[in-house]
Amino acid sequence: MASAAIKSGALVSLKDLKPSSEFFKDGASLRVTGKLVEYSVETAIAIIVDGNVSLKIDTQHLRELTFRIGSIYQFIGELLVQSENEATLQARVGRNVDGIDLNLYHQSLQLLKQFQADHLNKRTN
Amino acid sequence: MGQMINSARTIEPQSRFPMNQQRAFSLYHTHIKLLGFDLNSLTQSSSSSSSDAVSFSRRGFAVSCAEIVGVVVSRDLKPNRFLRFSVDDGTGCVSCILWLNHLTSPYFASRHQPDVRIIGNMATHFAAQIRVGIVARVRGKVSSYRGVVQITVSDVVVENDPNAEILHWLDCMSEGSF
Repeated sequence: MASAAIKSGALVSLKDLKPSSEFFKDGASLRVTGKLVEYSVETAIAIIVDGNVSLKIDTQHLRELTFRIGSIYQFIGELLVQSENEATLQARVGRNVDGIDLNLYHQSLQLLKQFQADHLNKRTN
Repeated sequence: MGQMINSARTIEPQSRFPMNQQRAFSLYHTHIKLLGFDLNSLTQSSSSSSSDAVSFSRRGFAVSCAEIVGVVVSRDLKPNRFLRFSVDDGTGCVSCILWLNHLTSPYFASRHQPDVRIIGNMATHFAAQIRVGIVARVRGKVSSYRGVVQITVSDVVVENDPNAEILHWLDCMSEGSF
């Protein structure tokens, strides 16, 4: 089944996407959220930021999405690591999430990671 | 007649579950809010080769229906047969099957045809709403296909609130102790 091969995009905050992070791996499936600060129609490269961290997004496969500078977007895709400190997310899914409560999102994300880790620990013990 | 139906409903879970599970039988027909990783790791038990005989449990408690919320990341439509799609909630990717063969399947032949037409029309409506990139709230029966847990969809709601997924995570975590 095609759907069985699709990997879940791990939820990650841009500030946690450091080169030393477990998520900073070539081919890692991730879901990232941030404010659009740059977008090139020619290259289809978008740049999103969250706090003082930015990430390049290759949006060439997202034909139906319109890009508006200053709006918040969420992308799911695979990370392409180009050098030790540089990576681009090759997005396969994207959406505008203007109106999202980013504080609630980041706090809930921490709780969710903890909840998931607790469950996995219970299962293995 | 009403009494017969009611008594059948109350007897069924008690006879189906062992004593240590009966305190949770009231959840058996409830759409339990689950995260993708939790749904994908439900324990499956099968007593015969029939797919209907597969039952699912989570930490010892029977689960038959579930509700998930996530981004639709794939869509495979077989017109008048089914729509298979995947929902990614960030913890796991859940496979969903929405049947669209209500008017041709022998499974529905013995049922009240006006009802079958309504169900079929609803399914067609849901299928048209499912697009890659939207956030969907999906409810349905937990089933399995080739050993992989999936949801046989009974209803779909497209979520336009960008906070809907976050609120669903919080609901799942608060319900997660059952």
